[in-house]
Amino acid sequence: MLSIESYFLDNGLHVVLNEDHSAPLVAINLWYHVGSKNERPGRTGFAHLFEHMLFSGSQHVGNNEHFRYVQSVGGVLNGTTFFDRTNYFETLPSNYLALGLWLESDRMGFFLPALTQEKLDIQREVVKEERRQRYDNVPYGTAFERLLHLAYDPDYSYHWPTIGSMEDLTAASLDDIRTFFATWYRPDNCVLTVVGDFVAAEAKDLVARYFGDIAPGNSFPPFDLIRRDRRSEHREVFPSRVPLPRLYRLYHLPRMADRDWIAGDLLSTVLSSDKASRLEKSLVYEKQIATDVAAYVLPTEATGMLMVQATAKEGVATEQIERAIDDEIERLAVGGVTEDELTRAKNRTEVDYAHQIENYDARADLIGMMATYFEDPNRVLNWLEPYRMATADDLKRVVQRYLVPENRVTSIYVPEVA
Amino acid sequence: MTDDFRASAPPPGPPRPYHFPQVTRQTLPNGLKILVAENHSAPLVAVRALVGSGADHDTQQLAGLASMTAELLDEGAGSRDAIRLAEDLGLLGASLGAGTDWDASYISIDVLSKMFAPAIEIFTDVVRRPTLPDSALERVRSERLMELLQQREEPAAIAGKRFSNLLYGAGTYGNSIIGNPGSVSRLIIDDVRRFYQQNFVPNNTAMIIAGDVVASRVVADIARLFGDWKRAAAPERPAITPAPIEKSRVYLIDRPNAVQSEIRVGHIGVPRSTEDYFPLTVMNALLGGVFNSRINLNLRERHGYTYGARSVFAFRRQAGPFVVSAPVRNEVTLESVTEVLIELRRIRTGDIEPRELEDTKNYLAGVFPATVQSSSDIAGRILDMELYDLPHDYFDRYREKIAAVSADDVAHVAQKYIDPDRALIVIVGNAAQVREPLGTLGFPLEDLDVDGNVLPVA
Repeated sequence: MLSIESYFLDNGLHVVLNEDHSAPLVAINLWYHVGSKNERPGRTGFAHLFEHMLFSGSQHVGNNEHFRYVQSVGGVLNGTTFFDRTNYFETLPSNYLALGLWLESDRMGFFLPALTQEKLDIQREVVKEERRQRYDNVPYGTAFERLLHLAYDPDYSYHWPTIGSMEDLTAASLDDIRTFFATWYRPDNCVLTVVGDFVAAEAKDLVARYFGDIAPGNSFPPFDLIRRDRRSEHREVFPSRVPLPRLYRLYHLPRMADRDWIAGDLLSTVLSSDKASRLEKSLVYEKQIATDVAAYVLPTEATGMLMVQATAKEGVATEQIERAIDDEIERLAVGGVTEDELTRAKNRTEVDYAHQIENYDARADLIGMMATYFEDPNRVLNWLEPYRMATADDLKRVVQRYLVPENRVTSIYVPEVA
Repeated sequence: MTDDFRASAPPPGPPRPYHFPQVTRQTLPNGLKILVAENHSAPLVAVRALVGSGADHDTQQLAGLASMTAELLDEGAGSRDAIRLAEDLGLLGASLGAGTDWDASYISIDVLSKMFAPAIEIFTDVVRRPTLPDSALERVRSERLMELLQQREEPAAIAGKRFSNLLYGAGTYGNSIIGNPGSVSRLIIDDVRRFYQQNFVPNNTAMIIAGDVVASRVVADIARLFGDWKRAAAPERPAITPAPIEKSRVYLIDRPNAVQSEIRVGHIGVPRSTEDYFPLTVMNALLGGVFNSRINLNLRERHGYTYGARSVFAFRRQAGPFVVSAPVRNEVTLESVTEVLIELRRIRTGDIEPRELEDTKNYLAGVFPATVQSSSDIAGRILDMELYDLPHDYFDRYREKIAAVSADDVAHVAQKYIDPDRALIVIVGNAAQVREPLGTLGFPLEDLDVDGNVLPVA
């Protein structure tokens, strides 16, 4: 059993320590509770652009030196941005714990003095290249973006993906960066998780030393998110330069960790995980009309999404794909899942969880998520409980209630006619 | 209120020792090697079967055969058909995988240690008694043809294929591991069964198990399950002998709507067994192997041309390619290629700063524990030792070998193994925008179609 210690500094920083001496490493992980959801139309892509900026130096750390400090002692590092949060993390040889805390505290407390227009201009270009590489220059690259546009109203913050639009990236100014930093990058909006080979008392001293004098911010701007039920299916057919048609679906679910979201997570495994799973067995193995299918839920804080996608074989109409998916869902709505199917889905979840806990860095990230979304890092200890409790009836209820046409959006990519 | 403690990086504490887990080794009379490493930090076990024949055994006619064989292993084994196999593995919470690279074929299972006993029984069936049904070949063939079709629109896939093909010609490394439409259409189930019979033999296989197990018990389990597997003639590794490049050339593959150019610059590299492995590893990490390397800092952080650029020596049993890759926006394609060539020339001159050399060596020497956290990671490292015939103390001596590399060594291997004047430059991008600028590089330029056919001069 993991031993987790959780406390707050006076400035509001939530500190979570998990001492574990099995490897001579420490994983340092910061979750800032800000993501693309906190952006506004016209300034999309900003949280992610900002994440890039935070690697470009702070008052006592030169441009690109953050990477250099970590890598030159054998550490690994990165950061990621999602709808609801931005995380920054490094795994270091454990005798470099102080180095990692120094680096993270410098960019939390002393970022603005090192900010320049030139750094912003370079990272803006880098992020635009990221968008080109991952979205605009590859087949199906903008599928998720299109789905979000269909699923949410334009003023709802899940309407756009974290990468943002090219126009908005162009528009981002140095003042925007300063305001964003002051608003969101502060100790009282952050969870600092440290996992690994340290002595808790020493780690606490170091955390107090490096983070204790960073001032909390002013009150947070008012923010409310209410997804309006659309009550009808939104669909599109999108001719694009793709060789094969592919169907993308998003079903609305309750937010992450809600009982129905947990059941939805298990349901996605029943739908697609191996040859015996419902959609794979029907579409790929038996009917052989699709080359691949996938179903999964996303860990989103404001509202949930269950994604389904399937690629049609050449010459197969997407209507046929869609009908086969709907037939399987209908079968689940009527007959439910078998006990064996439920057991398999639960076992898979349990193994995935064990793999996450096995690595210090993945474990630290999971703890950071629990502390950020649920204000309870100890939830990592009983995260599997609601999965174990879920019943076949729960899954059937989720199918009947959420996997219905008026609760979904569908985007279909078809090869454009030359 | 900046205090002194913020002014500079804090010093490290005393280093904590790291030891790679002890490996228990045994070879059965039939030649099967067993390697077990105990790791009790998590209740998980990673099992890997390493079969020492990969896509390098594929002929030009039957490219993709090795990977097709691996892909069919879970289509039924022993008394179970494909669906039953998936169901039973699911009930154990076990994930089964099979794959192929140029050097070998791999079968893996990852499972909670409490389920190891039933999982290894099924695993044994998959390795020793796959049914390899014809109906499965037909289905997977059709899926693979679709995959090949998809790749014709993926710029990174096009660039990678054209680069390999130009470098190695039509055979082996010049092919794709999954084959091409012609070869995939040509395969029949007898080819698959023959490949399996000739290569999946105990004296060509190593079983690697890492995790929450007792080594002596696992060795006994494997001996019981695999002891009566019949030894056979050991397969021979076909030699790969590419022709050298006489002079650098540019090859341009047009994607009329592209908003980026996929760039590949490189030539033949060296085999994994090279005596220069450690200096080469340091040199490449400094050149383009890590985030803070010269090529990435130049193209990404100084110029903002790309989201990421890197260089790789593909260390295989035989000489894989050396390649620099970067996707860049159309407008800076020439500039990016030029900067890559400048970096390739500069590292050959011996212009190496002591600090960047130390940083790079410290990274390589220090990062090992962070990359070997899980039982699956441990199994992967043991697999590498086995696949490339590395000495048993390889990971214990890794740090000192890296530490011994000097600036002269780096310059020496750069001069010996990197040659921008005899390189392929492959660009997949918007020809109307990039052809003219690329013409100013001073190298001959040829237009190719997506399949590599030479197009008439535009």
